Amino acid sequence: MISVAPTTANAQALDLANLTEAQTALEIKDLNLYYGSKQALFDVSMKIPKGQVTAFIGPSGCGKSTLLRCINRMNDLVDICRIEGQIDLHGTNIYDRNVDVAALRRRVGMVFQRPNPFPKSIYENVVYGLRLQGIKDRRTLDEAVERSLRGAALWDEVKDRLHDNAFGLSGGQQQRLVIARAIAIEPEVLLLDEPTSALDPISTLVIEELINELKSKYTVVIVTHNMQQAARVSDQTAFMYMGELIEYADTNTLFTTPSLKKTEDYITGRYG
Amino acid sequence: MRNWFKSGAPWIWMTGGAVSISLVAVVGLLVLIAWRGLSFFWPSTVYEFDLEELNGQRHTVIGELYDSEKVSAERVLSSGVKLPEQHDEVITRYLLKTGNREYVDLDFRWIMETQIKTKTAPQDIAVFERSTNGNFYGYVEGLLEAGEAVNATDKRAELIKRMERAIALNQQADDLQHGPIGSINYELERLRLKERGLALNGELDEAAKADFEAQRQALHDDYLVLEKELFAFRDQASRDAVIVRDMDGRQVTLPMQKVLDVHFPNDMGFFAKFGHWVHQLAKFVSSDPREANTEGGVFPAIFGTVFMVMLMAVIVTPLGVVAAIYLHEYAKKGPITKMIRIAVINLAGVPSIVYGVFGLGFFVYMVGGSLDQIFYPEALPSPTFGSPGVIWSALTLAILTLPVVIVSTEEGLSRIPSSVRQGSLALGATKAETLWRIIVPMASPAIMTGLILAVARAAGEVAPLMLVGVVKMAPTLPLDGNFPYFHLERKFMHLGFHIYDVGFQSPNVEAARPLVYATAFLLVTVIIGLNMSAISIRNRLREKFRSLDQ
Amino acid sequence: MDNMNLNKHISGQFNAELENVRNQVLVMGGLVEQQMNDVIDAVHAQEKEVAKRVVERDRKVNSLEVSIDEECTRIIAKRQPAASDLRLVIAIIKTIADLERIGDEAKQVAHMVIDNANKTQPPLVSVEHMGRNVVKMLHDSLDAFARMDVEAAIKIHASDIKVNREYESVVRELMTFMMEDPRSIPNVLKVLWAARAMERVGDRCKNICEYIIYFVKGKDVRHIDSNEMESLLK
Repeated sequence: MISVAPTTANAQALDLANLTEAQTALEIKDLNLYYGSKQALFDVSMKIPKGQVTAFIGPSGCGKSTLLRCINRMNDLVDICRIEGQIDLHGTNIYDRNVDVAALRRRVGMVFQRPNPFPKSIYENVVYGLRLQGIKDRRTLDEAVERSLRGAALWDEVKDRLHDNAFGLSGGQQQRLVIARAIAIEPEVLLLDEPTSALDPISTLVIEELINELKSKYTVVIVTHNMQQAARVSDQTAFMYMGELIEYADTNTLFTTPSLKKTEDYITGRYG
Repeated sequence: MRNWFKSGAPWIWMTGGAVSISLVAVVGLLVLIAWRGLSFFWPSTVYEFDLEELNGQRHTVIGELYDSEKVSAERVLSSGVKLPEQHDEVITRYLLKTGNREYVDLDFRWIMETQIKTKTAPQDIAVFERSTNGNFYGYVEGLLEAGEAVNATDKRAELIKRMERAIALNQQADDLQHGPIGSINYELERLRLKERGLALNGELDEAAKADFEAQRQALHDDYLVLEKELFAFRDQASRDAVIVRDMDGRQVTLPMQKVLDVHFPNDMGFFAKFGHWVHQLAKFVSSDPREANTEGGVFPAIFGTVFMVMLMAVIVTPLGVVAAIYLHEYAKKGPITKMIRIAVINLAGVPSIVYGVFGLGFFVYMVGGSLDQIFYPEALPSPTFGSPGVIWSALTLAILTLPVVIVSTEEGLSRIPSSVRQGSLALGATKAETLWRIIVPMASPAIMTGLILAVARAAGEVAPLMLVGVVKMAPTLPLDGNFPYFHLERKFMHLGFHIYDVGFQSPNVEAARPLVYATAFLLVTVIIGLNMSAISIRNRLREKFRSLDQ
Repeated sequence: MDNMNLNKHISGQFNAELENVRNQVLVMGGLVEQQMNDVIDAVHAQEKEVAKRVVERDRKVNSLEVSIDEECTRIIAKRQPAASDLRLVIAIIKTIADLERIGDEAKQVAHMVIDNANKTQPPLVSVEHMGRNVVKMLHDSLDAFARMDVEAAIKIHASDIKVNREYESVVRELMTFMMEDPRSIPNVLKVLWAARAMERVGDRCKNICEYIIYFVKGKDVRHIDSNEMESLLK
């Protein structure tokens, strides 16, 4: 008999356990997180590869959003939250004492569950991050707006009404505006926290298509409740359960032949 | 019956009833004060009554019908009034406003129905509104120019022409007095204070003295010129006079200078009356009070009310907003914050007069007194800021309304979805940047709501103001053309206090009653106006910062 | 049944649909097995009537394949099965294709019986014996499918070699017939085709076993020699 040639899917898959430093965007090392006395994350360790889409899936309350929020230190806003362990962003620990959190968040953009445009014009929404950095030059801002809106596949829809209130946009457009706002400051990593959970299916597909385009420039980490979405958009999928990282594998493997029963039960919709 | 209870209909009736009661109360209140207040300006008919006393003596009375009541004959008799032999059990008596205060003992008098022989409304009765002594009722007999009788074919037209001339001259004189002459007086006072200030510091040498003297002399010269002009105006104004026959047949000469207005109410059609009404109303709103506030307008009170409320808004808004931001955004949630919050809310329940006492003790005497000693030692012992004034009133009311602003701002802050804050933070904004660029603008409708409530409360508050700045009669407005334009240390007039003063403190309560209604109506109008403008601003802001989940 | 967990979905409807389609596969398997049994009986007894029945019943097999296919398509469209569910649906789709082909082979043999009915009989004993073996293999495969039994599947997978050897010996036997009596060649050739069909049935049983292994282990074991397969499954 003939020996089996590896399929294309397997050829793309990275060896997630042994990524080289150049391939790694984020490395999470033994992360434990506590809300008061309650532990929400247990010894999470993983490497997130650069320029790819990594999805976190898992049931509600499994800690996937919490883990995502650790990456740009959004959990700092919660008073009772305590974090042990470290996360390296391109080799430097973001939980180091002398890290400027605002600067970190400029490197790690984030898009939330519900579209949250500011009550300003579309233009002002996009340049918000740039204005914070003190950029005032009109031309720089104009260019950034066009580049970001094009990047978020929104330019053609809004180019004639850049100075209208952002609330006039539809939900899907608002979410893309928020993505444009995030990429306007050219982050290295883009975190998406259930970005389509408040959107209709068509807008969802548009966003998914956008995510696929975004990965050429940014490392994308997405949390989603929608397993099919994770299957569609991600290169790697991490399954979390009760604060633990259960299985982390390339998406093709995880969705056809997961190695653990917990994962299997979750993605096939069984009660374990 | 049980089914009816179960159906929920009683509940609807009960709630609906509550609404209609409130509605009726509000509308009723407004209609009552509006009617009583506004009808005061309507030129009412002036009647001439032919009266016959019991002893057969006859005389004439001219006056406006002011009120009428039915009283039992017994009561009338027991009050010492004599009645004819045959009389009814119940007798109607009328209250007449007869005016002519300097010629009759009372400008209001009661007459019995039984006395009245005839009641007519002659066309040519004139009502003179005068700058002193109230109205004068009578028939125009003739005109005098510099003591000489004037021959005119149309006496009324001539009278009105001459009256308007006198009014114009008076106006010019007034402008002169309040404008340039007032400025010179103000300058002189400043010079005096400056000189005294230098003297206190021991820096007043001969040269400076001479300089002051020269300046003073210059001002004095200016003053003399203006004074001459002023006297010239007054002389010209006092040229004419009008001869009026009053109800007793006396020929009274009224100097034209004192006449503010004349009208012939019995000779007016509806439109003429309406025109007169509008004119009177405008004068009420725009002119100064006269005769211990019982006549004339209420402009200084309106101005004082609005000015003080706005000043208060300017003070309370930043203070309240900043406090609310600290409480809501920065303060750690713990027992201390909780206590502060409870204290703030309780502050709203403290009786307002207590704030007045506090304002007097703390602001006026302590703060104001210290300010005087530090900045205005030259004016002492007469206080500058150390006495009640509009700034202290505004501050006192600011503290009074602070809880409202804090509570509603906090409410607004907590309504802003956290996703928006996080969105801003995730773009690399610091907390302060997020607050300033996103949160505060989004909370502005709530801040405006707080301000609306604060204004509504402050504009109606009188009791504390009586201690910290309101007076019955303020000679000058807190805003004028003399540098520094805003005179926050000055006392001011207030509509609420004006009502109290006119209603209870004036020598002639009867005459002042309609004025009380008119002023009350005006106060309500002013408050509604302030609220409406604030509400429209808030609605515009709301539209702009429509919250995400709507 | 245990290792299938079919009834543990949160969606009871999904459970029912999967259970239903799996039962239909077993029904179809039973039918095909029946066909094979009947056709071998027909070969044994030279029963033309039985053979005709087999030919007729093949239509039922075909229609079952179509309906199961449709059901699977519906499940994929509506439920977007993942992991083991997905593998089950894929395995079923492939299994019924093979079952249908087995049905076709049975029909072919039946035609042979009908055509050869009144002619001189070439020795059909060995073909019949081979047929019995193949039917046993089919029965075991369906059994393994019903239980999703990997062990059994591996065993059946390995036993295909026996069928192949038997086929070779049948071919040799038939060749001697043809050499002895050239006039019998047309008839013998038909028998040879029948033997060939039996051998193909064995191959298809082997495929079914591979699908079972794919479903249970998630590993594709097609085109792998048995040693490699054993190492893969460890």
